[in-house]
Amino acid sequence: MAKALDGVRVIDLTVWFQGPVAGQHLADFGAEVIHVERPNVGDFGRGVRSIKALPIGDWNQYFLVINRNKKSMAIDLKTSAGQEIMHKLVAESDVFLSNLSPDNLASWRLTYDELKAINPRLVYAMSTGYGPHGTIDKPSFDMTVQALTGLMSRIGEPGQPPIYLGMGSGDAIGGLMAAYGILLALHNRRRTGKGQYIDASLYGAQLFLAAPSLQAYLATGDDRFAQQRPRKSPEHPLWNVYETSDGWVFLCVRNEDASWSTLCESFGDRALPADARFDTPENRVQDAEALVEALDGILKQRTTADWMERWRPLGIVASPVNNLRDLENDPQAWENDYIVETHCEEVQRDVNVRGLPVTLSKTPGTVETLGPELGQHTEQIMVDTLGYTWEQIGELKEQGAIP
Amino acid sequence: MTAALDGLVVVDNTREFFSSLGVAMLADFGADVIRIDSGVSLSPGYHHELANRNKRSVSLDLDSNVGRQAVRDLAAKADVFVTDAALKTLAERGLDYATVSAGKPDLIYARASGFGPKGPDNDLPPLDELAAARTGMMPILPQPGQPPVYPQIGGMYTAVMLAFGVTTALHHREEIGEGQEVDVSLLAGNMYGASLDLQAYLAIGGERFLHPVSRMDAGNPMSGTLYITSDGLWATLTMPDTDRWWPDLSEIVGLDVDDPRFNSHELRCEVNRLELIDELAKAFDREPADHWRAIFTERQMSADIIERYDFPVQDKQAYDNRYILEAANGDSKTLGFPIFMTDTPAQMHRPAPASGEHTSEVLGGIGYSADQIAKAGS
Repeated sequence: MAKALDGVRVIDLTVWFQGPVAGQHLADFGAEVIHVERPNVGDFGRGVRSIKALPIGDWNQYFLVINRNKKSMAIDLKTSAGQEIMHKLVAESDVFLSNLSPDNLASWRLTYDELKAINPRLVYAMSTGYGPHGTIDKPSFDMTVQALTGLMSRIGEPGQPPIYLGMGSGDAIGGLMAAYGILLALHNRRRTGKGQYIDASLYGAQLFLAAPSLQAYLATGDDRFAQQRPRKSPEHPLWNVYETSDGWVFLCVRNEDASWSTLCESFGDRALPADARFDTPENRVQDAEALVEALDGILKQRTTADWMERWRPLGIVASPVNNLRDLENDPQAWENDYIVETHCEEVQRDVNVRGLPVTLSKTPGTVETLGPELGQHTEQIMVDTLGYTWEQIGELKEQGAIP
Repeated sequence: MTAALDGLVVVDNTREFFSSLGVAMLADFGADVIRIDSGVSLSPGYHHELANRNKRSVSLDLDSNVGRQAVRDLAAKADVFVTDAALKTLAERGLDYATVSAGKPDLIYARASGFGPKGPDNDLPPLDELAAARTGMMPILPQPGQPPVYPQIGGMYTAVMLAFGVTTALHHREEIGEGQEVDVSLLAGNMYGASLDLQAYLAIGGERFLHPVSRMDAGNPMSGTLYITSDGLWATLTMPDTDRWWPDLSEIVGLDVDDPRFNSHELRCEVNRLELIDELAKAFDREPADHWRAIFTERQMSADIIERYDFPVQDKQAYDNRYILEAANGDSKTLGFPIFMTDTPAQMHRPAPASGEHTSEVLGGIGYSADQIAKAGS
């Protein structure tokens, strides 16, 4: 079946998560993505041994999932012979993607100016920490950059510690942003015949991630938008999380009289609709804390499933607050290929992996293979794509340019 | 200056913030985005200013046949159609894929949905709260004993996925000449944002992914941890490779680098993990945030102080890179452009339009007479 990005070749000189996941989006849609790694140890992501203090298990899902559908080439870029191989690959590629430090890239003769001279059509894509301009020059990781945006301090209950949005949450938006930037540059190249330099930094992407409240703060300067907001004092109580007898629900009911009376109907409570404290939209906001207290008392009386069953026919919009186990069993996730089952070579069995979040009807993404073995395709690419002979490959091995 | 998407015409029939913002990401890079306003769109204000910038607005009555026909006529001259409406509403209005793409097989028809194109819940409303609740992260974000936390970020992943999905389909169209449907959903966006937790749960399983983990029980005391400083601000460290960072870290917190409790990765992250967390918590609480910030900077350590929104709003780095822009009137600010491009940078062509500001201009441009324009407009 045809793939949307058939024929696009990407050099993916990335490590950890933000860079590799950008390449993953392109590879899912058929681009030939070549993950270039250091000989012997490869991408740092190969070394992940535990997650949340739990052993990672018999397959390294951290590395294998974000590097799926890719090839791996091992090159020692510290050697000038290795750099020559890389330059040949650049001449044959459409995109160069990296999240390594500019200093490293410069020492390996991989700056934008050097690569542009070799291939003017090349899209040179960086995933930096803090952007191409300005003075900040320090290491960047998902969480240390998330810390700077202010979003961590904004969510959760007042007085509670800041909240990290989940492992890889910031890298994920950074990588996606880079993938979009690459598509933009490829589209532009069609008209101009020229590549360009792009950057989608972790800081820029994570500021965007905060948009719903950060934009409000930027526009108004109102400190309320920077602060944690207590659950018991929401903007309006019908749009809030509530505890049931066996879990939590997210109630998303508009603050309108008709919705309010429908909700009261579902409670089977005769007193509440008549309660003058809550009988208009204004009063429900005015007396939000009292209403939350009243709703807390009512919702705790039944199970989540009980409430959902009552609310569905009445058109009351709500969802159980699920956990990851519920998600794993959610048909919605499976039917849309948001979770897929695929074969894992490393353990010779099928495993469940994060699937395809973007659905294209005629050229859908696929998960063909999980991440490659280190250097699995070095020789194949050198012969088929770069035209090296076996004699030359033997010499390059002796020189230590490739393993 | 040229823009990457010069010449691309997009009909934007979205209502929600996240979906309109995804279309704005096309407009920022030069697409000619014609927004259909039909009385119930995003209300004016700062979210509108961000999500509809660089667009033109046509006001149409989608309850009338003339208004719906005008949408189809606009789509017939466009490259991309984007909606976030319910499938049944689209079918009723003759704005479904089959109808809109009839006679135009190269149209890219994108839907920003709540829960994806298939499955029993494919027509639930596109509310990020519902999708976040389904994704499974809300119970584990806070500290133990706290209510579930709504992170309000799923829509932002979905917005970028929309722009990425459309341009990916566009790439295929330029090669083959074929259009198609694109769907990005809030459920997919939330799940993508939960990447590593979700994937680790799928692979490893276990209760530790289902309940909140106390910050005093972090997997690696030196990575992904939170420590309060003496003035109430919090510090965070990301040093997964503890061997590399231990000499620096031990020194700044006043521990002996050779402390036999902590002098290997295994001792720090397994055997004496909780004890090290406790020591670090005590140490960070001895000095204020400024002290730690200065040390982190001086030593180029992978650590930082957790800021509030007043930090980026004053951060020169954010302006130098156009991540935040000064609004035209000077006293307010807005989010800028997260992607930098040397040759075709994002630009601010025009502020978000008033509803219907360009109705005559746009409909006139596709050959509508004044009379037809009056009938189609709302």
